[in-house]
Amino acid sequence: MGTRPLEGIRVADFGWIYAVPHATAWLGALGADVIRIETSGAPDLVRFLTGTDGSIGANRSGIFHAINSSRRSIALNLAMPEAQEIARKIIRQSDFVTENFTVGNMAKYNLAYDDLVKIKPDIIMLSGTPLGQDGPLAGSVGFGPTTQAFAGLCHITGYPDSFPCGIGGTWPDFAVGAGMVFFMLAALHYRDRTGEGQYIDLSMAEMITTMMPEAMMDFLMNGREQAAIGNRDESMAPHGVFPAAGDDKWIAIAIAADDEFSKLCEALGAPSMGSDPKFARLFSRLANVEELEREIAARTRVHPRDELVAKLRARGLAAGPVYSTPELMEDPVFSRSSMLVKLKHSEVGERVVPGLPVNFGAIDLEYRGAPMFGEHTDEVLTELLGYSAAEIARLKEAKVLI
Amino acid sequence: MARFEPFQEPPRALEGLKVVELPCLDTMPFLAASMAAKSFADFGAEVVKVEPPRTGSQERALGPFRDEMPDPETGGLHLYLNTNKLGVTIGLENRRGRDLALELLAPAAIVFNPNRPELNEKLGIDWRTLTARFPKLIVVSITFFGAESAYRNLRGGDLVATHMSGVGYETPWHQVTDPSNQPPLKLGGRQSDYLTGYTAAAAAMCALYSRKTNGAGQHVDVGQWLSMISMIRPNIGCYSHEAPDSPSFQRLSTRRKMAAQWVYPCKDGWVSFNAGTDRFWRGAKKAMGNPEWMDSELFDTIMGRTAHIDAIEAGVIDWLSTQTRTEAFEKAQAEHVPCFPVYSPAEVAGNGQYKARKFFIDLEHPAAREVRMPGAPCKFARTPWRIVRGAPMLGEHNQKILGERIGRSDAELAGLAAAGII
Repeated sequence: MGTRPLEGIRVADFGWIYAVPHATAWLGALGADVIRIETSGAPDLVRFLTGTDGSIGANRSGIFHAINSSRRSIALNLAMPEAQEIARKIIRQSDFVTENFTVGNMAKYNLAYDDLVKIKPDIIMLSGTPLGQDGPLAGSVGFGPTTQAFAGLCHITGYPDSFPCGIGGTWPDFAVGAGMVFFMLAALHYRDRTGEGQYIDLSMAEMITTMMPEAMMDFLMNGREQAAIGNRDESMAPHGVFPAAGDDKWIAIAIAADDEFSKLCEALGAPSMGSDPKFARLFSRLANVEELEREIAARTRVHPRDELVAKLRARGLAAGPVYSTPELMEDPVFSRSSMLVKLKHSEVGERVVPGLPVNFGAIDLEYRGAPMFGEHTDEVLTELLGYSAAEIARLKEAKVLI
Repeated sequence: MARFEPFQEPPRALEGLKVVELPCLDTMPFLAASMAAKSFADFGAEVVKVEPPRTGSQERALGPFRDEMPDPETGGLHLYLNTNKLGVTIGLENRRGRDLALELLAPAAIVFNPNRPELNEKLGIDWRTLTARFPKLIVVSITFFGAESAYRNLRGGDLVATHMSGVGYETPWHQVTDPSNQPPLKLGGRQSDYLTGYTAAAAAMCALYSRKTNGAGQHVDVGQWLSMISMIRPNIGCYSHEAPDSPSFQRLSTRRKMAAQWVYPCKDGWVSFNAGTDRFWRGAKKAMGNPEWMDSELFDTIMGRTAHIDAIEAGVIDWLSTQTRTEAFEKAQAEHVPCFPVYSPAEVAGNGQYKARKFFIDLEHPAAREVRMPGAPCKFARTPWRIVRGAPMLGEHNQKILGERIGRSDAELAGLAAAGII
């Protein structure tokens, strides 16, 4: 029997788009009561990014459903003081407040950290922004993928001598979200010991830069400006993506040692290449990397991708297919992975969405389907805040509740 | 008279927590455990980093090195990834070494082990053995594919995880014009190692909360592949809600140019720019000086703009060709449109915003002297991220940890050193 480690912990979640909702999905899966406070003034655009079976609607976004599991949703018009008061009542009974609006937005709703400590002194509040809460550019707006440009990541991502690249997977939003889980639980751990809450100011750009030590340390120590090197690596060769038979099929191969290179050559039917002085040792492979890659590509392109992958794996080499998402979904291991969970959504029914990317030996993860917009407004106001049906009706009439 | 208050360093969030980091013994560089343990160390946990004797951990052999002179004590990755850690050297392949490491685990709350299951089993440090022996210990396996996956003993790493996850397939994002000469691309540096490190840190904290409820440790299974797949979760959601050949799914997971890219050339470099939503579109119009072409009703809705993305991007690139990065950034941001310069590492290092927030930190290190490096991944108001100690010299804390802490005598330590075990 596993535990629900965060049972009894409540999160007043003003987060939207990707990073914060991903973080609170972890907390919800661990048993926290995540109450997502949605607003009509700034509806989450992810609710309208894609739909279900060809039709778009606030409660039909497959992307929203993939990111917003295990939470309740209430819908408030936060521009109205009465709605702000409802938010404050929730926060009085919460342990965390999370948000990733542009700097200053929470203050407009009278919900800045300074406002909140007055009503809940030990609250832990996490704010995520592109560039942080202070400094000359604090007011900047941005998504994770636009912010990675500022942080240096686009500059070092790309083909050699080519253009800077945007990155797939709306990088770095979910990386930032995973980090937020660590930061929030670290703050909770401190509160457990001391009773003290605190404010956490996360700049996405700064967090991205903490993940670029190779390039940053080279500049900071040597003044050397690293450029993009494609799929290559400075300490391995070959280290790349090579064509396989068929249209746009590719195999990734990373060779970390000289004996691994001999095995690769053998598998490719070119054992003599393994002892060729041009390639036999790592330094020579690095020095002749373009020729090396041409020689390998000429031999990989005749093989069906998955057959070659199997052949290389059987020799203990690091190799894998380059997957599109549909191919990934058909991978025999991933398709049966516990990361894929089938959850019920009130409007679109049962659908497969990604759960947490990790497995716990003794935690019962609590997955619930993403909420419809304001699905739990009445429930939260009645059960948590003690509002009567008549009061709720009046608040709806007054457009405080949506 | 005012009482003298001695200056006190602020408290640290994870003070008192004991963590052990085991070394990755694969030939493939895999720095995830190093990043996970750094996260704990920099917020105040006591991290004992176990390194192989003589060679040290993987990052000591990887560049960048100062003046490109390889030195295991002064490599940039070692200096950065091992801040605040205590360093001991133990040969895990040796039985006596393994037993020493097990003694280190007895008082620990968390151990990070970045090795493949078959090697762990051979060494007697697989998670079943460790959780059985130390019921309160949180055993975090950090592997290429997951400790319990059917792929568990395959070798992977940054490149393979990136491309098997789907992230590499759609990188560069909507910029591929010649697919046969522009293969799927990995991200710069070792992004998936560090992502896996942050994921493991988060998962370890979750297990620590589980332990608070019942006092029990557990196995936590963190894999690089699933950590990377977690980055394409929108695609998975779309895939289960829309047909794979639907336009919305096609835009999400494709190598062909079908939707807005994230970065564009301008007069003196590149900028990121996105005017996808109605609000950003209106802002972009103003920022760009209300050009006539933007008035077309073809562009009134997100759907319309997506369908005519080529025309829009041509117009945006045309405007950007007259703007410097700074001009485009300032004009777009003034209208609340997401736009940032594409900065190089040097520009990041000299950036005024980072400077104002004191992001980069300087520390003294006995071998590397003065070192500057990236600092806090986020700012805690009450218990700030802080460096109290630079990366350890190889075996620097053998005496303190193996001697004083677990009680090996000087003679025993000398014997272990002579045998090459520490």
